[in-house]
Amino acid sequence: MKKTIIIFALLLIGTTVFSQKMITRNGKITFEASIPSFEEIKATNSTVSCILDEATGDFAALVLIKSFKFKAPLMEEHFNENYMESNLFPKATFKGKILNFDAKKLSTASTTYELEGDLTIHGITKKIKTKINLILTGGKLNTTANFDIKPQDYGIEIPSLVKDKIAKNIDTRINFNLETQ
Amino acid sequence: MKIQKILSCFVLLFSIQTITAQDDLLGQLDVKSTKKEATPYTFKALQICNLQSTKLPAKGEFYMLITHRFGDLTEGINNFFGLDNANTKIGGIYGLTDWLSIGVSRHTFQKNYETAFKYRFAKQMENGFPVTIAGYNTFDINTELDKTNYPSLKFSNRLAYSAQLLISRKVTQSLSLELATIYTHKNLYDNTTEYADLALLGYGARYKLTKRLSLNLEYDMRLNAIDGYMTNKFQNPMTAGLDIETGGHVFQLVFSNSQAMNDVSLFTNATGKFNKGIYFGFNMYRVF
Repeated sequence: MKKTIIIFALLLIGTTVFSQKMITRNGKITFEASIPSFEEIKATNSTVSCILDEATGDFAALVLIKSFKFKAPLMEEHFNENYMESNLFPKATFKGKILNFDAKKLSTASTTYELEGDLTIHGITKKIKTKINLILTGGKLNTTANFDIKPQDYGIEIPSLVKDKIAKNIDTRINFNLETQ
Repeated sequence: MKIQKILSCFVLLFSIQTITAQDDLLGQLDVKSTKKEATPYTFKALQICNLQSTKLPAKGEFYMLITHRFGDLTEGINNFFGLDNANTKIGGIYGLTDWLSIGVSRHTFQKNYETAFKYRFAKQMENGFPVTIAGYNTFDINTELDKTNYPSLKFSNRLAYSAQLLISRKVTQSLSLELATIYTHKNLYDNTTEYADLALLGYGARYKLTKRLSLNLEYDMRLNAIDGYMTNKFQNPMTAGLDIETGGHVFQLVFSNSQAMNDVSLFTNATGKFNKGIYFGFNMYRVF
């Protein structure tokens, strides 16, 4: 019996000691919703926070909507005020897991995993699944993924007047360089 | 027994830890921002209707401006509900910095050329400074006057000025208010109907009806225009309008008792009364 206790205790300590976390606070997310021959709709956010638990593959990210920068200030204003309503929903979050993640297998060659979890935008949460590429160089874990977001899934209303000028599927690219905490 | 209890405690602890691990991850990312933010989107357009709002173009932003005021709507079919005798203003506004912009425009009324500067002193902050304060100055050159009719005309006679201090506050998410103190000066004026110098107090409001539609109202009180002192030709300017917002445009529909759009004439030469002299028109801004 005593042995079991010790094992459990060790396990408990183990999770706290060995759960190495990798983190960034200046990750990049770029999205583009342009339609050819219309005005470019593209924005980049370079202050995305992201954290990865190397032991479990748990993966979380947090985006401040107001930090998306557009070329045209008016477009940025419309994006915040009328589309994302960023005063009501200031953040978008992702909470999920890299499936079958194994920190030991990371190398300078790109490895692809499945990333699955809950994406919350505009106050609405949806399950998403996408491929994620991981490259470990010089202690930094470069994480990239590319997926589509449909505004209507997240209750983001697009008025009929501009419907033809905004892509139905918004091409979203993430690029994080995670470092050991 | 004791051992079992301790064991179950550990198991419980362990499972709780696993359950909350993900929330913890997100929690670790969340940092409360201590930075104070300016209150955004007090007004959608650079003007409430006729009166300037406290909004400025961002640095490097160029606004192209086309505005119309049709003729008197109440004349009916006689002028085809104002379609005859329309006034046009065409111009551009450029943001030199985030707090200073310059605008140049040409008006049908008196063939006026108007140069305008808008500059911001202070911004309303979330849980901070309560109001946005901006200044606005216009310089008009009247090019309609000519030497044939006015043989001793000097260049200075063509000039008119306005100086305005605009104070606005976004009260709720849908309601924004503005108070303006306005001073106008005309070098040349008709001393039977006009004042050389006029001080006004302006009130403006914007109420958002939907995300992309707002109702705007404004009224300017001429403080030193005393009833009966002069022929009662001109009125206090009053305007109601709607902001309609599309992608890169802001479109404003306007009903006003002033047909002129340059600030000096707008404040001093509004002719319409309640039942006579309503001018319909629109402001259209295209942003580059």
